[in-house]
Amino acid sequence: MSAIDTKGLVKTFGPTRALDGLNLTVRSGEVHGFLGPNGAGKSTTIRILLGMMRADSGRAELLGGDPWADATQLHRRLAYVPGDVELWPNLTGGEAVDLLGTLRGGLNETRRSELVERFHLDLTKKGGTYSKGNRQKVVLVAAFASEVELLILDEPTSGLDPLMEAVFQEVVAEMRDAGRTVLLSSHILAQVEKLADQVSIIRKGRIVQTGTLADMRHLTRTSVEAETAAPVTGLTGLPGVHSAETAGARVRFDVDADHMDGAIRHLSTFGVRTLISHPPSLEELMLRHYGKGEA
Amino acid sequence: MTVTVSHRRSAVAAEGGALTGTGILLRLALRRDRIKLPAWTLGVSVMAAYFALVVPKLRPEADILEAGRALMELPLMQVFSGPLFGLDNADKSTFLMLAFVVEFQLLAAVVNILLVARHTRAEEQTGRAELVRAAVVGRHASLTAAFLVAVVTDVVMALLLTLTGVAVGLPAGSAALFGVGTAVFGLVFAGVTAVTVQLTRHSKAACGIASGVLFLVWTLRAVGAVQDVRGGWATWLTPMGWSLLTRVLDEERWWPLALSVLLTAVLLASAYRLSARRDLGAGLMPVRPGPARATARLRSPFALALRLQRASFYGWGIGLAVVGLLFGGLAGAMRVTGTAAGTGSGPDMVDGFLSLTVNFLSWLVSILMVMSVVRARNDEVRGLVTPLLATPTSRPAWLGSTLLVAALAAVGLLALSGLAAGVSAASALGDGGLVWEVAGMTLARAPESLVVLAVAAALFGLAPRILVGAWVVIGYGGVARFWGTNLPDWLLALSPFNHIPRMPVEDFRLMPLVTLSAAAVLLVLAALYGFRRRDLDSA
Repeated sequence: MSAIDTKGLVKTFGPTRALDGLNLTVRSGEVHGFLGPNGAGKSTTIRILLGMMRADSGRAELLGGDPWADATQLHRRLAYVPGDVELWPNLTGGEAVDLLGTLRGGLNETRRSELVERFHLDLTKKGGTYSKGNRQKVVLVAAFASEVELLILDEPTSGLDPLMEAVFQEVVAEMRDAGRTVLLSSHILAQVEKLADQVSIIRKGRIVQTGTLADMRHLTRTSVEAETAAPVTGLTGLPGVHSAETAGARVRFDVDADHMDGAIRHLSTFGVRTLISHPPSLEELMLRHYGKGEA
Repeated sequence: MTVTVSHRRSAVAAEGGALTGTGILLRLALRRDRIKLPAWTLGVSVMAAYFALVVPKLRPEADILEAGRALMELPLMQVFSGPLFGLDNADKSTFLMLAFVVEFQLLAAVVNILLVARHTRAEEQTGRAELVRAAVVGRHASLTAAFLVAVVTDVVMALLLTLTGVAVGLPAGSAALFGVGTAVFGLVFAGVTAVTVQLTRHSKAACGIASGVLFLVWTLRAVGAVQDVRGGWATWLTPMGWSLLTRVLDEERWWPLALSVLLTAVLLASAYRLSARRDLGAGLMPVRPGPARATARLRSPFALALRLQRASFYGWGIGLAVVGLLFGGLAGAMRVTGTAAGTGSGPDMVDGFLSLTVNFLSWLVSILMVMSVVRARNDEVRGLVTPLLATPTSRPAWLGSTLLVAALAAVGLLALSGLAAGVSAASALGDGGLVWEVAGMTLARAPESLVVLAVAAALFGLAPRILVGAWVVIGYGGVARFWGTNLPDWLLALSPFNHIPRMPVEDFRLMPLVTLSAAAVLLVLAALYGFRRRDLDSA
């Protein structure tokens, strides 16, 4: 059964086509990474799923209902965390947590206090005085302390420090183990890699890839930098190796995941002294696979 | 060579320190407001020209000069426009311009309040000031630049008003006195706002306090005008009075304006001192920690709407109660002066004044109604509404609660201010029955405020981008109600403030209340319908 299912969603703002036939399926009980560069249409999709906007055409189904027409009933079963949240300036963080929880039909009190502890959140400050990361924690606590089936998280960790980011990842993992469904929108590949069972990549209002990260291995191309005893030759002729540059004893190149082994074998014949390799960022990935200058 | 350069550098640092970068910030502000500033300054002078040239033509048959002079002699007109000078020397065109000096002053002050708050506190609130201050920009540069924007605006406004004055037939000197006097009053409020933006963290609150000061000034002037048609001591306490007491087209004099300039200088100096004592982004009013838990009552969109606007309602409650008390008390003066001047009998004068008072109260409450809806729209655009609507709270429930809170506030505030006016009028006139009579008359005007609320709501639901148009209802309604006796009937009927009988001058009729309330209900239904169907906007 799918928690979210859209077919051919289109949404335009004046001349801009924000969504251009978007098909997204999220199965119940999975953590689904929703990846895409800034401005790809992630937030527009989520606003349609929440019934804040109506699609121009196409069909969307959320928890078996129509996100626009059945918004109120469906919202009993989900919690939402926006990426850039403003709080009511004259309400404290604690009041905001309680209000959002109560409106959603009640908070799990034990969970609430446990989360406040884990996120190191001061609940007595006024909404207007929180830093960005702390505002984010307020809405995260309100969402995670609610007993809901579906969590819709739109770039939920923007502004969180690495320690809090780690807490966030733990909590999302617990949510999955408890059988909740999570739609996690992000532009950070590493975050999605750690958490997501399934990933959909959106670009210019369309889903361009969907599957497990393993399915997408062909998409990943690793950057390698090395220092060798002798200058490296013959790299450019190897299969799967791209944009190789040598400068004396230093060499850098990109290699497709499937051809990593061959490239490293070749390299080791020149006597490897240092070796650095790093996975591509989402932006690099988009640029490489879907054309330059329009990621 | 090197020596000269380093010498010049240190000189700049010593002199300019706190003001470094003012020039660039001033240019930035003028660039940002390149549409606003010409529109505002032209708007004020076009309004002056409108009164002078168009209004007399709407009723060509009536001798507007005779009627106008008689009208302006009434003490109740003194409350809104006095102390008035030069009317005996005015002709048909210049008469109306001089009779509305107070209104031009109010506009000039509002322009200055908005300008200064916009370029100081609003910038800090958004965090842009931090970005700017991190560059080579002195501590006082942004405040100075904001004040200079106001100065530039006021100079342009003075020039335009002078030209308008000359164009409608004032002698050049009098026109200049009229233009400069109005603009200098505006400048005083640039100074007032320079101080209030130091006090609060939020630009809106700073504007609110400055508007409160403006209202106090307006009220003191009114008290002084009733004390003496050529200005009592209360008038002399206010910068508004100083501009009026230059006595344009009468025994003209410039020196009272020096008081305003002096006051502006003092205000600006205090603003610098206060600004030096606080951190960027902070206010001087401390932020206290609050409760970590919500009370059991804060569990519905209604409770939230009430909580968010509570402070504003208290402020308005105090302000309106003061207006009620003051105006009610002035009713006593109406009887005395009315009888003494022989312009109509005492009771008629008192009735006319009381009717004007309750009209005014309902008009003021209507301003709050528009503000409530504008606030809801701001919350929507800033993304404060999305988290609420992502809970099982439905859109009609949220909008309905917000409107219901505003409507209840309108009724409550009218009851409160009506009661205050009633108590004060009853004690001034020695007639206990007035307490309930005046309170009832005020409450009976509630449908006016509710219609204004409903119009704003309908715009919010159906055409949120032109919500600002709701202010037209307030502006036009005020003109039509308080100064529109010369307008044709069909134009008057367009305003929601011209339907309920002007009690106690006219007799109570139920029908207009029913019609207005029905119109309000229909408009709210349209609002709910429209808001259900439209997309939520975000910044």
